[in-house]
Amino acid sequence: MKKNILLFAALLIAGIANAQTKVNSYTFGAMEARWLGPGTMSGRITAIVGVNADSKTLYVGSAGGGVWKSTNAGASFKPIFDKYCMSIGAIAVDQSDPTTVFVGTGESNMRNTVSIGDGLYKSTDAGDNWVKVGLDSTEHIAKIIIDPKNSKNIYVAAPGPLWSDSKHRGLYKSTDGGETWNKVFYINDKTGCADVAVDPNDPNTVYVTMWEFRRFPYAFNSGGMSSGMYKSTDGGKTWKELKNGLPAKPFGRIALTLAPSAPQNMIAIVEAKETGLYISSDGGETWKSQSATMNVVSRPFYFSCLVIDPKDPKRVYRPGFGFSYSDDGGYSFSDASYDGGWVHSDHHALWINPNYTNQMYLGTDGGVYISLDRGATWMFVYNLPVGQFYHVACDNNTPYRMYGGLQDNGSWVAPSAAPGGVNNSNWQDMYGGDGFWVQPDLTDNNIAYAESQGGNMGRIDLTTFKSIDITPQQAKEDEKLRWNWNTPIVTGQANHHNLYTAAQYLYKTTNQGRTWQKISPDLTTNDKKKQQQEESGGLSEDNTSAENHCTIFTIAESPLDENMIWVGTDDGNLQVVTDGGKSWTNLAKNYEAAGIPAQTWVSSIEPSRYDRNTVYATFDHHMYGDMNTYLGKSTDGGKTWKRITSPEFTGFAHKIKEDIINKDLLFLGTERGLFASIDGGETWFRMKNHIPDYCMVRDIQIQPQTNDLVLATHGRGIMVINDISPIRSLTKDVVDKDVVIFPNKPLIITTGKYGGGGSPVSGGWWGGNPDDIQPIEYYLKERATKDVKVEIYDASGKLVQSIPGSKRKGVNKVYWNLRSIPPKTATGGTKADFGGFIAPMVLPGTYTVKLIAGDKEYTSQLQMVHDNNDKLFSEEDAKQQYDAAMQLYHMHEQLYVLVDKINTEQKEIKEYMDVVKKASEKKQLKEHYDKLEELRSTLLATKHKSIFADEKKLRENITEVYGAICGQECKPTNLQLGRITGLNDDLDKGKKTYDRLVADYGTKTTEIINTEKSRPKTNPSNAGN
Amino acid sequence: MKKIISVVFLLAILLIGTNAARSQTVDDIIQKHLAATGGADNWKKINSIKKSCIRMSRGVEIPLVITIQQGKGYRSESTISGMTSYTVITDKEGWGFNPRNQQKPEALPSETVKLSQDRLDIQGPLIDYKAKGYKIVYLGTDDVEGTECHKLKVTMPSGKEESIFIDASNYYLVRTIEKTKANGKEQSFTTTYGDYQKLPEGIIYPMSFDNGGSSIAIKKLEINKPLAEDTFKPVELKK
Repeated sequence: MKKNILLFAALLIAGIANAQTKVNSYTFGAMEARWLGPGTMSGRITAIVGVNADSKTLYVGSAGGGVWKSTNAGASFKPIFDKYCMSIGAIAVDQSDPTTVFVGTGESNMRNTVSIGDGLYKSTDAGDNWVKVGLDSTEHIAKIIIDPKNSKNIYVAAPGPLWSDSKHRGLYKSTDGGETWNKVFYINDKTGCADVAVDPNDPNTVYVTMWEFRRFPYAFNSGGMSSGMYKSTDGGKTWKELKNGLPAKPFGRIALTLAPSAPQNMIAIVEAKETGLYISSDGGETWKSQSATMNVVSRPFYFSCLVIDPKDPKRVYRPGFGFSYSDDGGYSFSDASYDGGWVHSDHHALWINPNYTNQMYLGTDGGVYISLDRGATWMFVYNLPVGQFYHVACDNNTPYRMYGGLQDNGSWVAPSAAPGGVNNSNWQDMYGGDGFWVQPDLTDNNIAYAESQGGNMGRIDLTTFKSIDITPQQAKEDEKLRWNWNTPIVTGQANHHNLYTAAQYLYKTTNQGRTWQKISPDLTTNDKKKQQQEESGGLSEDNTSAENHCTIFTIAESPLDENMIWVGTDDGNLQVVTDGGKSWTNLAKNYEAAGIPAQTWVSSIEPSRYDRNTVYATFDHHMYGDMNTYLGKSTDGGKTWKRITSPEFTGFAHKIKEDIINKDLLFLGTERGLFASIDGGETWFRMKNHIPDYCMVRDIQIQPQTNDLVLATHGRGIMVINDISPIRSLTKDVVDKDVVIFPNKPLIITTGKYGGGGSPVSGGWWGGNPDDIQPIEYYLKERATKDVKVEIYDASGKLVQSIPGSKRKGVNKVYWNLRSIPPKTATGGTKADFGGFIAPMVLPGTYTVKLIAGDKEYTSQLQMVHDNNDKLFSEEDAKQQYDAAMQLYHMHEQLYVLVDKINTEQKEIKEYMDVVKKASEKKQLKEHYDKLEELRSTLLATKHKSIFADEKKLRENITEVYGAICGQECKPTNLQLGRITGLNDDLDKGKKTYDRLVADYGTKTTEIINTEKSRPKTNPSNAGN
Repeated sequence: MKKIISVVFLLAILLIGTNAARSQTVDDIIQKHLAATGGADNWKKINSIKKSCIRMSRGVEIPLVITIQQGKGYRSESTISGMTSYTVITDKEGWGFNPRNQQKPEALPSETVKLSQDRLDIQGPLIDYKAKGYKIVYLGTDDVEGTECHKLKVTMPSGKEESIFIDASNYYLVRTIEKTKANGKEQSFTTTYGDYQKLPEGIIYPMSFDNGGSSIAIKKLEINKPLAEDTFKPVELKK
């Protein structure tokens, strides 16, 4: 009882503490992810719908990257669904009111890696805001049709759950614009609705195809007697089956469509024992067999897209494995050409502009393509960063390189930073097929290892990108090797020379795959019932290694002991060895005792780098219909486990990552989000730091030199949160304070890491760079309602720079360009002169950072240091550069004073030139004015306004040298220094000329003006109004 | 038992709180916002405003002056190196002038003038919104950089849309996102407000705002002071 009271008290205190601190993603404020993309290979597209009325507003749904919208026909896109489920099954626009848009979540291309949805969403403001309107448990939505004559009537085809029996499938209908839903056609808990079509002329006529299907971790079945094609002529109240002319049952998936311009004409691809395309010209009453070419019949479960031209009922499009089109209603097909560049295979979506049917948009496993010639040739859209990475790895280069493999898009490598920012062109394709693990060889900078599906792997020379096959082969005494679709290739954490891979056996090489050693027996359950992949697929044989089972899925070498190796399998075994591979212990029963299901996939293992006996693991049981998040921790080498839970968790778990500095900082990636804990897993929060709320986070790495958090997302490419050091600093003690200014690391004085021509990126995806210069960081417990600014003072207490501070809750970043306040430069003239925006870099020394937040001030010291790694730019060079720049700085300020005097005098003289009466006085003032103007025109550009006409006078000449000297890391050249002397002479000459004008004209002019001022009626300011 | 009652009581309060949040209406939020920022009456007394601001860019202070006369005109002018650019919008016309690349003021497209009419409204869309023809819907709460805000969506008579985020704790204006269409292409423009100060006129006014990557601080505010006759004409004003 006492124990319980203490526990209760502890919980209460924890609760109060939580209430006070409430650490969440906003605590980290401005620490926002960079979206590296890229758009180079893009990713799987599942839906494309345009707005008929304007033909240039497009909504694109992706398999794992949410919904993207373009309002310029695809020239640019923006994500509009980032707070919701990332897996998109279908999109529909109400063409009678295009501000109404529906999104059905849960892709319905039922591959092994397909994600799940959480219902149907509606927007009434063209995608700005969304409300979930139901169908939460359907998991997959294939199509949404809005009645063209009454948009209150909406039909949703829901195949329903893939991994379990469920009643949440069938055809759903709303008659109130989506407010409420009824299931209007349902067969059984194994059979969902795969397709729906509504006759636009008679919207009570509705066609559906029903599909019996099911996936298991080790097999797929498409087909059954419950599949079929049905028709209703009363808006879904009653149904009859359409059979006449169709092949004999059982059926698998049926793709069905009708000709919008002649809806009695229909086509369907019927998956059966002999799959083929069928046509009907009587509203489905009778059918006739047509083409059965490869592109028509291949993989009906995956290629379910079939479209008829909006105006021409004979023009049929079959986006499938490739792109085919028919001019005879589907009797014969031609294939698209590659004249516009290669078109990625595996097509799932097609939108044809009804106003100009030559124009169409195609969604593939590798992004969106545009055709302007009815699908004959295609152009790729480079600006959709929706690639589905499985894993990511980083090397130790500067900048480090990121490596990863993607669904149907091979393996790629790119630098994390590049001149001008990382863009599509920085990504290099390095290995083919579907890509998964890519491991850089941390002992050899020119080598990486990559694979394609089913365990085919190579060693790649990163200088030539030629590869050598290093796949371990079956030994005489071994069973046939069973490679997972996503076979692990893992570098040793304790010994980087160790490289591991695994089928059902674990293999190790220490010489880059030239020789392999099998270091385990079969570590799986070796359940033969789960090894019938050759029979997988159902009606259409489909055995692509995606269903390979009883395989090793994850490998981890302890960072503290290379002989301690952890292995997880896809059938529930979690094995450990402590002697490098001799004596394996299966820990499956131990984690099961903690409430984690048996036979679950062990999706990741993270042996602690702080304690040899501590290990974390994630478990993925979704292939048995269990979408829960399973995360376990053991502190006794796997003997006992504790399941870690959190109400924040959503989605089945892919990856647990322990921080490399702070043992209490953990990151968890799941199918539906990224989560973090700063207290060793006691409490968790969803990280939303410019990361979509329900992003599919498959892999997480922390790059040790930069402390960047690098994410492999399965639908939004690579994301990087630069330098997570502040997260490590934000203990609960710290976050309770109102304001915290973080200690500044010594700052290297630099113009930035990269140069470049400065041309803006033209199209494509741009992922930017990490901060060129380390920002000054501070924490605000709450958003500031008063002014916030940061001031920098030098050692003498002189203000060097004042910068507006951001006011957001959590970590704020202020960027100081390491320069002082620019000089005042001469005003006026006809040219924009940027000398007044340039200042020299400060010199090394100790500076003070003062954070002023409302009426409070906080200070910290900042050490500015020279970049001693730059052998071409010594500290003495920097001093010379500074001195030269400051000479020019002062020249600018002197010129400012001189020109200001001229401007002031000219303004006053001009006011009185028209007022004075005497001709001699007029002449005096005019002459004086003109002389001043003559002088002014030598001091700054005064004549040419056009930006295409160069005019350089003293101000512009000073800026030219000043800008050159300030903008580089180099001591001034002899000629630059010489020119400073020359320009200084010009300045002196200008000053002397001015003095002479004062002597020649000043007294007389002043006398005339003063006399005029003393006259009561000649107030020129009034006269001018 | 007592503990159980307490827990139930706490849960009940939490549930009531949740329901209360849900039951907020547009008018509730606007009323609370106006009460927190000085009251509608004080706002309605403001007929003209001249904001003399500083836009900070690379350590350089760039003067920016924004002048508005309620329903009549809007002028913003920015001076760099002694050269002044300006934009003027009235209820009928608009002009822009940049001395670096224009010989004379150029007329703004009529679509731009139409979509900019809300700039002539000092009070903002929340005061007398129905009479002004604005439609406003409440879209629940949303986070703005970690601050929970009520989100209102305003549709103006011009068709322009603006999302307004009101801090749920103090009911101050935190952010606006304007959405406009240029030649059919959507563009959005985000402004985030801060440094709220009480003015002698009785209103709480945000004295700083960030937009387009710039931070702008209002250094001087002149309210209901006479404006130069040419303020809303396409001419450079006498300094």
